[in-house]
Amino acid sequence: MSSPLELGTDAAVHVEEVVHVYGTGVDAVTALGPISLDVPRGSFLVIVGASGCGKSTLLRLIAGFERPTAGVVRTAGAPPVPGAGAGIVFQQPRLFPWKSVGGNVGLALRYAGVPREERARRVPELLERVGLHNVAHRRTWQLSGGQQQRVAIARALAGDNPLLLLDEPFAALDALTRERLQEDLRRVSEQTGRTSVFVTHSVEEAVFLGSRVVVLTSRPGQIALDLDVPLPRTGLEPDELRALPEYAALRATVSHAVRDAAG
Amino acid sequence: MRVLAAAALLGLWQLAATAAANPSFIPSPGAVWEQLLRLSTTHDGIRGYSGSLLIEHLGISLRRILIGSAIGVAGGLVVGAVLGTVPWIRVVAEPVITFVRALPPLAYFSLLIIWFGIDETPKLWLLAIAALPPVAVATAAAVHGAPSDLVEAARALGARRRDVIRDVVLPNALPEIFTGVRLAVGIAYSSVVAAETVNGVPGIGGMVRDAQRYLQTDVVVLGLLAIGLSGLLIDGLLRVTEKRLIPWRGRS
Repeated sequence: MSSPLELGTDAAVHVEEVVHVYGTGVDAVTALGPISLDVPRGSFLVIVGASGCGKSTLLRLIAGFERPTAGVVRTAGAPPVPGAGAGIVFQQPRLFPWKSVGGNVGLALRYAGVPREERARRVPELLERVGLHNVAHRRTWQLSGGQQQRVAIARALAGDNPLLLLDEPFAALDALTRERLQEDLRRVSEQTGRTSVFVTHSVEEAVFLGSRVVVLTSRPGQIALDLDVPLPRTGLEPDELRALPEYAALRATVSHAVRDAAG
Repeated sequence: MRVLAAAALLGLWQLAATAAANPSFIPSPGAVWEQLLRLSTTHDGIRGYSGSLLIEHLGISLRRILIGSAIGVAGGLVVGAVLGTVPWIRVVAEPVITFVRALPPLAYFSLLIIWFGIDETPKLWLLAIAALPPVAVATAAAVHGAPSDLVEAARALGARRRDVIRDVVLPNALPEIFTGVRLAVGIAYSSVVAAETVNGVPGIGGMVRDAQRYLQTDVVVLGLLAIGLSGLLIDGLLRVTEKRLIPWRGRS
């Protein structure tokens, strides 16, 4: 076992003195940092901030799609590589229209070398888990926006990665659908117990989903507030949770920080 | 609606033929119909036209179109894939393809005859060369424009390079490629008459040209109808294939 001193490398996500700059010379824009952050295993971190605060950049760095200009990013102790160790849900579902719903969900399994029969067994299970029944054979465009995003979540869960990264996945959905998906994601994350990093600009969403909320300042994104959310993760109905006095207080705190951070 | 339009057209034709009163200028529908029957059977020891039935003339032309455009499409796919992935080749080769595309097939047919003689070879070359550019251009554009968001999504799922090509780049390119193929077959179709201007009998284009020399206008018209109708049929077949093969066309 590692000693407490090495907590940094033991964390699911380790971000150390990271700075990210887009462009060069006079066009250079510092989008992020310097920022340091550790995400312990099993926690649900929500990063919230106004648009342009570098929160999506931070997620892309953690996903391994980009390398930081300076500093260190590690997931499970190693530099992140796309497709290894993290499932990703984007703002748009990004489903492949040439594959059936089931075909989309089964892709990560196929790339991992899971045989066809086992995929056929596990894909419906994954879809059930995100609240979809009998849709495996449908075409992706026959589903509503909310259902498509559910498929995208099932697809990201399929790889059995210890880490789940979500980049404003519900931003394009209507309010009612968004709330339903938030509730289901909260439940799924408790069931699977995996580490999640969720990026959003919605304070409501941050407080409802997160076991911890980090507020970023405007460009360059730095940590303005790092807050543990001491709300019960299980046992309460979503409406009961939202009705708690602590919930309202937390929402006010985060909302205040977001407004201050936006400047 | 369409039946009515066809009937009206037929009426107009008959009217024009009666007014012209010169079957060598405008043959009547009846005369063309009789030619259809005559060319589809053996009469007085004469088999169809120049020893081949109408359907055989058409069949030989269709075979040329099929082989020629198959070669052209295959070549177009390869050329297009290279153009779409290797930038410097694209810069060098694109003007050449545009140049060939702008040439009327009849223009380079003379050269092909000098090179390959007057038998099947130059005809197939002509059709292949005519069919290649649209497929190459469409394939190049489609392969080049693979959507980065879907490529990223595939990589996030653990796709390796060849997985990305098989599961994203190719299926994404398919609708555009297929449009190129339909265009190519259409061009091969309209070029077959040009290809059959030299030693084209048997062949529907050769038949039309031959009949023109002897002022057999009814045979000319019959040949035109046969070419047009079979063209419609083939495009219809391609459309059906497209629907089955690419159900996601136009969806996102």
